[in-house]
Amino acid sequence: MTKRIFQSILLSSLVMLLISLAISVGCLYYHFEKIQEEQLDSELALAASAVEESGVGFLERVENDALRLTLVDADGTVLYDTAADAESMTNHADREEIQEAFSTGKGYSSRYSSTLTEKTIYRAALLGDGRALRASYGRTTIFSLLVGTAPWIFLAAALAAGLSWLLAKRLSERIITPLNQVDLDNPLENDAYEELSPLLTKIHRQHEQIDAQLLQLRRKTDEFEHITASMEEGLVLLDAKGKILSINPAAVALFDVKGKPAGVDFLAIKRSHQMNHATACALKSGHASIREERKGRFYQFDVSRIESAGKIMGLVILAFDVSEKESAERIRREFSANVSHELKIPLTSIIASADLIENNLVKPEDMARFIGHIKREASHLLTLIEDIIRLSQLDEGIEMLAEAVDLGAVANEAVEQLLDVADKNNIMIDLHTEHCVLQGVPRLLYEIVYNLVENAIKYNLPNGKVDVSVERVKDGVELKVCDTGVGIPIKHQKRVFERFYRVDESHSKQSGGTGLGLSIVKHAASYFDADIALQSGEGKGTTITVTFPA
Amino acid sequence: MRNRFDEQLELLNTEMIRMGAMCEEAIAIASTALVEGDTKTAAKIIPLDKEIDQKERDIENLCVKLLLQQQPVARDLRQISAALKMITDMERIGDQAEDIAEIVTTLEGRMVPEHSHIREMAKAAMKMVTDSVDAYVKHDIDLAEQVIAYDDVVDEYFEYVKSGLIEMIAKNPTDGEYALDLLMIAKYFERIGDHATNIAEWVLYSITGLHKGETV
Repeated sequence: MTKRIFQSILLSSLVMLLISLAISVGCLYYHFEKIQEEQLDSELALAASAVEESGVGFLERVENDALRLTLVDADGTVLYDTAADAESMTNHADREEIQEAFSTGKGYSSRYSSTLTEKTIYRAALLGDGRALRASYGRTTIFSLLVGTAPWIFLAAALAAGLSWLLAKRLSERIITPLNQVDLDNPLENDAYEELSPLLTKIHRQHEQIDAQLLQLRRKTDEFEHITASMEEGLVLLDAKGKILSINPAAVALFDVKGKPAGVDFLAIKRSHQMNHATACALKSGHASIREERKGRFYQFDVSRIESAGKIMGLVILAFDVSEKESAERIRREFSANVSHELKIPLTSIIASADLIENNLVKPEDMARFIGHIKREASHLLTLIEDIIRLSQLDEGIEMLAEAVDLGAVANEAVEQLLDVADKNNIMIDLHTEHCVLQGVPRLLYEIVYNLVENAIKYNLPNGKVDVSVERVKDGVELKVCDTGVGIPIKHQKRVFERFYRVDESHSKQSGGTGLGLSIVKHAASYFDADIALQSGEGKGTTITVTFPA
Repeated sequence: MRNRFDEQLELLNTEMIRMGAMCEEAIAIASTALVEGDTKTAAKIIPLDKEIDQKERDIENLCVKLLLQQQPVARDLRQISAALKMITDMERIGDQAEDIAEIVTTLEGRMVPEHSHIREMAKAAMKMVTDSVDAYVKHDIDLAEQVIAYDDVVDEYFEYVKSGLIEMIAKNPTDGEYALDLLMIAKYFERIGDHATNIAEWVLYSITGLHKGETV
């Protein structure tokens, strides 16, 4: 600002200086030339009359250094000159002023010296005797005048520059100070310059607009953050360059982010090669999905491209826990493998026996044993299939009719069914039941008691004892089956409820277990929202308590 | 001008992280293949190693371009020169992981004994690589120093593995070739540890300006 003002002031003052200099010098010069010419005219007239009266003698007496008088004969020969030797001077007949004087009686002319620094003015007059007298005056030209005054002109220009700088500084300060003091936060409360008011009004209006938009934006981000904060899934938004725009708390915990992640490259918090591939792939084709183990759980990461009007805006990464799904899939795979295996064993055995009989390789006295074997294996197969069907019914969640059931009565019925088996193994069953009515499917309750008691008998030691009790407790109804059997080692306790899981393969075979009993119990119990507690130790017997909520 | 420079530095940073991630993947593949005796997994490393080599060239080009066009000074210059040194080490890690995988394919699915030190050694080398890349990503001086100190652990494992293999040959001389293969693998892991140490040292240099405690 100061510079601009300085420049314009300096320029205008210099222009003014030059113009006034030119005008005044020109005028004065012209004026003085006029005076000089008049003076020359009068002096020539005086000299002419003097020469006519007293001849050359007058010229010899003239003592004026500035005025030069030359007497020229009618043929142009110089007769006398006050400044130079007449003999050495050339014929003057060709001089403009002399020719003019001879023809009109008076002659004028002016000539510049070779250096242009001097101008000589000539005046000639014809005398009465035919000779001509010429008077001349030398004077400095306007050019040499300018050269002579140049230092002063420069001084004046420098002064003008200095003055303009000072002025410019003061001026710009005075203009700028009110501008600097304008309070842009409250544009309407200023009265600096009237000219600024349209601008200030506009700023005020834009202020309001920006505030409103900011508020709206903040509300939207708050909303977004609230929604994503309560999400269980991890959510990360990236811009097109892979920088994090937003990350929700679940993702922060999942990726173990420390500090403020916004604006950081996503690579800095998660840099696995697989994820790199996924993001690159999503940028190219729109979507990618990977599964990765993190902190002992399985997560699925869905990466999708965000587009707006054909332009890639960024990526969204959604991470959700698929551990359950993953383990369910694993269990299903294992289950089908187990089912086929379990079904195959008795069938192979049946076919082998049948083969032997068919080929008459069995002695008649052994026939009964073989047929018994086939029957036993077939019935085992049947139990197995029944168990599987029951399990799959539970899996499917087929609607079963719920009614009021007395758990005590159900327990009595189940135990009665198993008395034969208990007797065979020489096991005593002790039953204590109360009348406890539950709302539910009688068949499922029966399955629970039957399977638990059957296990208690099967895995008991010879001459062992099984205690079955049904009683009301504070939280509901409790079914307790306690045996004095082999017990379940601690490391197997977690898995005994899995399908086909057996603690001791050989013992199970012998006792004809399918490995599905406890799974059925677990499933049926979950139908009632009942809790199952297992208390056991190797050789210490097993107590399973099922607590039905009231 | 500065903006463009910053952008390129940022790009260098992300490319370095990408290359680091590839190295981690390579060594993870190599050790999984080794532990499970899985030749199929081992084969996966060949395209990955090619990718690592390509990445090295890309980063090198980027660094040279930055040096020539922007003439960086001070911290920026350190970051670029450290990157140039680090990618050489990363590329070597990739190569050595490939070498390990190659040996695994010749073992014909033979699994490394359950309690052999070589498993622990593979884990330790993997930890070093991961931590050195982490130190780079987080500009973490302490972590970089931990990596350098951890190299002794890997070296120690190498001694254990060596003496274990000597015992194995003494017990079962027909298994000599297998033992030698395992020794080679152990040596590769030991070298990977050294390269991770180098990376950590250059991370320290790019942060503090001191390489192995001296100005460079």
